[in-house]
Amino acid sequence: MPTVKMTKTIPTISVYSLTGCAGELLVILENLNKMLPYVRILSFPFAQSTNDDGPVDIAFIEGSVSNPHDLERLVSIRRRCKMLVALGNCAVWGCVQKGACSRFDAEQMRNQVYGEQSTIEVMPASRVEDHVKVDVKLSGCPIDSTQLLAVTASLLKDHLPYIPQKPVCLECKLKENPCILIEQNLPCLGPVTATGCGALCPSVGAPCYGCWGPSEEPQMEAMAQVLLEKGYRLNEVLTRLQAFGAPTELFSRLTSSQALVNPPDRSN
Amino acid sequence: MEKSFVLAKSDFQKFLQRLSTFGAVHAPVRVSDQSFAYKPVDLEKEIAFEALRTILPPKKFLYPQREALFSYDESGIVSEPQINEPLVIFGSHPCDLAGMKVLDYIFTAPPGDSLYIERRKHILIVGLSCLPDKYCFCESMGTDSVDDGYDVFLTDIDDHFFVEVATPKAAELLSDNDFLIPASEPYKQAFKDFWHDRKALFTNRFETSNLPALLDLEADNPVWEELGNRCLSCGNCTFVCPTCYCFDIVDIAQLNGKGQREREWDSCQFTDFAKVAGNNNFRPGPIDRLKFWYRHKLHGFQDAYQLPTCVGCGRCTVSCPAEIDDIVGVVVRLEGSRQRDSIYAKEEKN
Repeated sequence: MPTVKMTKTIPTISVYSLTGCAGELLVILENLNKMLPYVRILSFPFAQSTNDDGPVDIAFIEGSVSNPHDLERLVSIRRRCKMLVALGNCAVWGCVQKGACSRFDAEQMRNQVYGEQSTIEVMPASRVEDHVKVDVKLSGCPIDSTQLLAVTASLLKDHLPYIPQKPVCLECKLKENPCILIEQNLPCLGPVTATGCGALCPSVGAPCYGCWGPSEEPQMEAMAQVLLEKGYRLNEVLTRLQAFGAPTELFSRLTSSQALVNPPDRSN
Repeated sequence: MEKSFVLAKSDFQKFLQRLSTFGAVHAPVRVSDQSFAYKPVDLEKEIAFEALRTILPPKKFLYPQREALFSYDESGIVSEPQINEPLVIFGSHPCDLAGMKVLDYIFTAPPGDSLYIERRKHILIVGLSCLPDKYCFCESMGTDSVDDGYDVFLTDIDDHFFVEVATPKAAELLSDNDFLIPASEPYKQAFKDFWHDRKALFTNRFETSNLPALLDLEADNPVWEELGNRCLSCGNCTFVCPTCYCFDIVDIAQLNGKGQREREWDSCQFTDFAKVAGNNNFRPGPIDRLKFWYRHKLHGFQDAYQLPTCVGCGRCTVSCPAEIDDIVGVVVRLEGSRQRDSIYAKEEKN
């Protein structure tokens, strides 16, 4: 495990973006005043015009790998950094671009959006860890400021941060929200989604749609079973569960509807 | 001072006002069509007297969902929380009073949890009688009435409350008032009749008195696999349980070397709960975890302390999205001698 040494100089960070919405970059920008006394920024093209793309202590990477250029840059960054932190759902899970690629062909989607004559190169969207070693994965959509600062503080102190992947239900119940999955039969994915968001959507009565990615060992089949028994169709259930890039292995048994037991007869 | 009084319901606001001189009164308030939650109240009309179970039990007042243990900097601990806010919990039913007694037992046993003990000193508990719905099974758990664990207890007898004043703290708070009248014979009879008649109203019940033996004998019953396969591992059953007390401790570090150590409710239903070094897990799957929880509730404390940690409130039953926390249904199935419909079977709509 490479570690960040604080012996002589102030530790350096670089912030890079692959294919994503730049939400993570905005969170870093908002917290720069808290980070700057303790780190020196080498490269952050989103925030400064002169960048040093040399060796760096910590590289923060946002976005999924969605084209050959992303991959090329990622491999180069990995070679130059001691610690690599994947930031946000895109980098950690692949987000909606991976969700779409799980269901449709990437080339076909490119042709529909940019036209068949386009020179834009695409590849099926994938996670950062599908290509290089990742030291820390901090999901979010976007990431949470407190977690970002705590992760950075841990790395500067030479230890790996603890990033729980407990379900959204934890924070939702701790806020004592009425359960919208039970009381309103809304297709809330809180039980299988990692929390950190503070149960934002269920707290205002909207079902969780899974934007932080899966919780640790999510019970996808049990979740699908609950939704099917509420009358949702398998296709809709799968679409919802996979929308934010959850790995297809989690659904291997679900893709055949026979794998699920028939909903019990509730008529009496 | 006498111990038994009656309070005319028309005088309730006066009683509430007197309670508020002790501390902020928290009582069940309606938060949705089906749910209630303990919230601060000033007026009688804010209180949902009909509430049988709040989403979270009153354990949240004794042992908050998330609390700071201390804050630190690079020199060490710099401050610890000061707990001195007095609080009145109004409207806890016998199951919740029993639940708080279990928590008292756990958190005050030597060496004792200093935050819990300090918080407990500043709390006044006012219990309230109730009539069971189809999910209540406190009668089977022996927690349908309690003799202690409250400062004041109100029993609803028509247009009055029968008021039992149980502790010197409560006697002092309620001394010298114009709303409590010493209970005369007809009220005493009404009080006795209420508790006698209530026994017969429980429909969700089992007969077994030896739960530990039943759980041991049926450790490999297929019910565990069947329910475990439906389990979402969401942890709801544990958060809403009046006696589940497990927590996680995390440091919220800042870059300037300062930080805060916090504890937060945790759940044995989460994958990382029983995970240890080397990525080994004592309870790797939902089947193991669900069975563990059932055993802990119905069996766990019996051997060591003769104390079941299920109080029969029915919160887990109504809070489980996968509908697998029908405790009575599971016990009846383990008994194997009679049939019982699932508590989750929907009533036919006309």
